[in-house]
Amino acid sequence: MKCFRDALKTTKCWIVGHKLRAAVLGAVLLVVAPWPAKAQFVDPCCAIMAAGLASISSALQNVIGGGLNQILGVDQSIQQFEQNTVWPQNLINQARALVGGLQGIFNQIQSLTQIRINSATLPNSQQFEANLLSRNANQIGQTSSSYTALYGQIPTTTDASQQVRDMVDMTDAAAQDAMKRAIEIDALSDLELQAASQINQSIQSAAPGSAPIIEAQADAWLVRANAYTQAATADLMRLRAIDLANSSADIKTGATNTTNLRQQLMNLLQHN
Amino acid sequence: MHYVTFVLFGLTFTWFMVTANSSRRVLAVTVAGILVSTMLVAPPLAEAQGGLVQAIQAVLNVINGMLKNALTAINTARAAMNALYQNFVWPLQLINQARAQVTQMINQYRALMASILNMNLSSATLPTPQSLETMMRDHRVNNFSSLSQSFGNTYGAIPTSVDASQADRDMSDMDDALTLDSLKTLKASDNATDLELQAANSIENSATQAAPGSAPFMTASAVASSIRSQALTQKMLAAELRQEAAHIAHQNGFRKRGATFTTQFRTLMMNLLQHN
Repeated sequence: MKCFRDALKTTKCWIVGHKLRAAVLGAVLLVVAPWPAKAQFVDPCCAIMAAGLASISSALQNVIGGGLNQILGVDQSIQQFEQNTVWPQNLINQARALVGGLQGIFNQIQSLTQIRINSATLPNSQQFEANLLSRNANQIGQTSSSYTALYGQIPTTTDASQQVRDMVDMTDAAAQDAMKRAIEIDALSDLELQAASQINQSIQSAAPGSAPIIEAQADAWLVRANAYTQAATADLMRLRAIDLANSSADIKTGATNTTNLRQQLMNLLQHN
Repeated sequence: MHYVTFVLFGLTFTWFMVTANSSRRVLAVTVAGILVSTMLVAPPLAEAQGGLVQAIQAVLNVINGMLKNALTAINTARAAMNALYQNFVWPLQLINQARAQVTQMINQYRALMASILNMNLSSATLPTPQSLETMMRDHRVNNFSSLSQSFGNTYGAIPTSVDASQADRDMSDMDDALTLDSLKTLKASDNATDLELQAANSIENSATQAAPGSAPFMTASAVASSIRSQALTQKMLAAELRQEAAHIAHQNGFRKRGATFTTQFRTLMMNLLQHN
């Protein structure tokens, strides 16, 4: 304590003795001395930042949040509409169940087409009928021989004129073509029934978005089936055309024969 | 850190100031102290507050400008899409109208068409043909033997080998066989037609409750049914082809045999004339 008092006394003496130096020393230390930091809540910088952040928060809530809420509202409306009106799960399941139910009906139809209808009783006709009803395109090769066995061969050159032989051959050809086409069409229609069942089974496990693809495939099959029907119809028309041509040929041949007979009778009368 | 620097500076400066023994040294120490305090001890300059305000304003501008515009545009587009779906693509009113139309057409046509299709067309008057006609049109596939029996009763049996040549018997048997084949095919087709109509009714019934999303299932199933229908039509056409082909083959057979008979007759006549 005494030392401290002595130090103060010495300092006081020095300050009194060196007033200028003490003033300069005090002034410099006063200027250089660090001042305590200002509190943030009264700092204008922080106040500006707080106001800015509040503005940003408000803008985020109003502009961004509000905008997103509006979009969410619209999206929820779309979702609800699509789930309840456009693609309702229960109605889609009902449609799938319907397809499953129809499959049972289609199986019955398919079994109807498999019923045997053979009716011939004699060996030649039985063999030919079996070939015609075979539904097997590989058996088309045997059709002509069975046909000839039943309906006979083309007359020889001694038995008939060339014109008659041509007509007979053409008629046989048309008849055999049609019979071969019938075997083809039977085989094709079996395959179509098989494909239709496959398509129907695919529909049962389809999604609303994939069903139109299966529908497109089914449409393509329908176009193909129409083409086969047209091919069969064409052969039927050819048969009827040949039938008509034969009727016409009969008239022509009859006219020629009548003329020839008249001529020969006249020759006979002239000789007598 | 700043306080430590200040203390060191203060002690050093005070020491030099106290120990300076001339006014010239006091002046030099003062100048040096001021210089050192200015360069090293003085606090760093604060940054200007204007930069912060500008940064906040820039963020606000982005939010109120670009982001707000983008959200408004998205909202407008989504709302337009919603309106398009509900008012133009799948308007509920028209969906209900379509369902109602299906129901209305079922009521208007189904019973009427069924009654037309199921009208009795039987026309035979004598017992045997009546039996055959009934058998031909009964849509049943489990009485083919009765059909053959009835057919035989109406059209007669194949001639015996004593009554006709083998060629005639074969042709007659083939004609009868293909006729019976066609009749049996038609009985099966009639039965299948009934089933097809049943399927069509089921599909149409379901359409009364269909949604746009479930309709493709029914459409696809209906198309598959159409394929089946075509296949059945083709089977009938195949039977028709066989029948028509047999018909002209039969006529052609007569033509062939006519040629053979003519040759035989000519030969016979020539032999007769030669004998005379």
